[in-house]
This record gives sequence, structure tokens and C-alpha cells, in this order.
Amino acid sequence: MFNGLRNFFSNKAASKSIARSRLHFVLVQDRTGLTNEEMASFKSEMCSVIEKYFVIDKQGFDIEYKRETEMTTLVINSPIVVRRQEGQKHSAGSKHKHKQNQNNKAQTEESSDPQPVVAG
Amino acid sequence: MSLKNGTNNSKSTGQIIVVTSGKGGVGKTTTTASIGAALALKGKRVLVADADIGLRNLDVILGLENRIVFNLVDVAKKVCKPQQALIKSKKSNNLFLLPASQTDEKDVVDEAEVKAALDQFRREFNFILVDSPAGIEQGFKNACAAADKALVVTTPEIPAIRDADRVIGLLTARSVEPLLLINRLDQNMVRRGDMLSVEDVQDILGIELIGVIERDENVIVSANCGEPVVYNPKSKAGMAFNRIAGRLCGESIPIPDLGADSIWGKIGRLWA
Repeated sequence: MFNGLRNFFSNKAASKSIARSRLHFVLVQDRTGLTNEEMASFKSEMCSVIEKYFVIDKQGFDIEYKRETEMTTLVINSPIVVRRQEGQKHSAGSKHKHKQNQNNKAQTEESSDPQPVVAG
Repeated sequence: MSLKNGTNNSKSTGQIIVVTSGKGGVGKTTTTASIGAALALKGKRVLVADADIGLRNLDVILGLENRIVFNLVDVAKKVCKPQQALIKSKKSNNLFLLPASQTDEKDVVDEAEVKAALDQFRREFNFILVDSPAGIEQGFKNACAAADKALVVTTPEIPAIRDADRVIGLLTARSVEPLLLINRLDQNMVRRGDMLSVEDVQDILGIELIGVIERDENVIVSANCGEPVVYNPKSKAGMAFNRIAGRLCGESIPIPDLGADSIWGKIGRLWA
């Protein structure tokens, strides 16, 4: 309890949050078998494909290779600032952020090479 | 006592469960010995087999190190009869040890030989627990060769979880059902946000949880004495291993809520 209060007031993230995000990073690497560079280029290519249709928050763009009991899924999490509409301009810094999480799931087999597919 | 006392007409009745982890030192051998002893306490006929060839230790955890004559390699190579290599536990008439060889190399046997060696014990035992070596090389493959299920042992730490994740991938590819066992959890550290919680580990690894063992000094005391911790009815670890044995027998025993995130942990997570 005391430590909880201490963490709360010092605004210091509990060390387990650090562990979680570090694990997240190594597991995506381990599970996909992609190198840092490959993952970076996959992310930027993915981003540019989605950007063709939506204005997205690149900061929040994240890729997760998630194992569930029955299947393994590739989760592409791309916060959408706003839907692109014809004849209308949008600035990414707009104050009215509609944070919609669009989860595009591509299912891959555990042992096969990941084949990312963006479902509409 | 007849060893040919099958419980039904089917040729193979016992299940083979491999205890594995990827990373070394997370408690595979203690888990194998403790769950083996707990199942025997429930009246099941249990064989615990040490597949860590060259680095055996299951014998000392069970206090049977001075009784070894033959071993798993001898059974696999048909140097002796299968029964000749088995050592009965001092504490139970239902618990037997098949030790590993201490002098051979890990790759002296192959998967088919180990599978054949272990499969022949299915008729006589309800459970065959196989203590796997650390790593994901030949020794691991041999240990998994005959397995129906796997207990994946991890501690709530990054290296152990990362390696467990690798092992889960390999087990799934081999169609061995993985079950998660979280070892050495410290409730106080979880409460103050300095240890990954059961929920966190389960969420990351995404497989069914079979049980959680808290950090408990009694495990070391028991190992010193060569008696599995389940014989100490007051120890937290012993009770937890007994509950896992019950779950393996199909009993519905809820997993106690061990240091679930406190409000501060939750706030800390939102903050991060």
C-alpha cells in the first residue's frame, strides 16, 4: 500500500509495466521471426496502405502477434483520427480526435511464416 | 503388487505429461517431483521419468540417488527390462522413478527410442511425468516425443516468459497441449506493481492456466531432505501442487486469487 502511494505520488511507473512493454517488444520479434529492420519496414508499409484511406495517428500504430488458445492472430492496431472524406481536409493535429481502434486481424498458422493480410 | 493392473481394456491408459520451460532454473524438476508425489497421494499410479540425460537431478529431489541401477537410456537401448530401471519411492507405493543416465551425452538416444521406452509404461501407470532438460534442442525433443500434454513452467520474469513462449510455439507445432504453471510468484511484489501478475503472464502467453505456486522456503527445505514439498501439509507450495494434481485428475478446483492487481497497480498501468 505504501509503495502504491509512493508510486502514485512520484508518478513512477511500477516496474512491472516496464517488464510488460519490454516483453511485448521481444515477443513480437520472436513470434514473427522478423528482424528489427523488417518489422520497421513492414510497419511503415502498413501505415502507408492504411493512410491511403484513413487519417491515422501514427504514434499509436502498433502491431501485435497474439496467441490465443485456438489460433494465432496478427493484430494491427491503428488509431484512426478521422475517416477521409472527399473534398474535405483534415489536419492530423485536430483537437477532436475520434480514437477508433481498428483491429485488422490476419490469421496465421503457428508454424508457417506470417502472411499479413489487411482485411477491409 | 502386479504392475500389469490396467484400469480398462484399452492397451494404453496412462497419460504422458512433459514438464518443460525452455529456460533453466525455473523449477521443472521440483514441479515434476511434487506433482508426481501429489498424484500418488491421490491414489494414482505415477511414474516420474528424468529425461535430462547427463544432468540428472530428479533422483536427488526425491531422495532416491543411492538406489539407481539402470536408467532411461538402458530402457531405450533395451539393456535391461523396463521394470528393472524403476525405483519405488520411499514415501509411496504408487510413485516410481525412472532416472536419467548421468554419463551419456544428450543425443545418445533419439525421439523414437524415448517414445517407445516411455509408451510401454502407459499400461501400468495412470500418469507418466517427464522432466525435460532446459533448452529446445535434442534433449527437449526427446522429452516431448511421447507426450500428450505439457506443463510449461515459468516464473513471472522476462527471460522465463520469453523462453516459455518459444517452447509453447514448438509444443503447438507438435500437437502437444500446453498448460501454464506459474512458479515463484510473490504476492507482495505483485500488489505493489513490481512483479507481473498471474493475469499478465496468462494474457501474454495465451494458454490455459493449470496453477500458480507462490515463492515458498519450504521448497528448499524439502529439497534438502529429499522429500517432495507436498508431504508438508502446511506449506503453501505443497498445497498448490496438491491442487494442480487434482486439476490434472479432472477435479474442478478454482485457482486462488494471488495478489491480483491492487488499485495502485491498476492506476500505475493506466499511467504507463
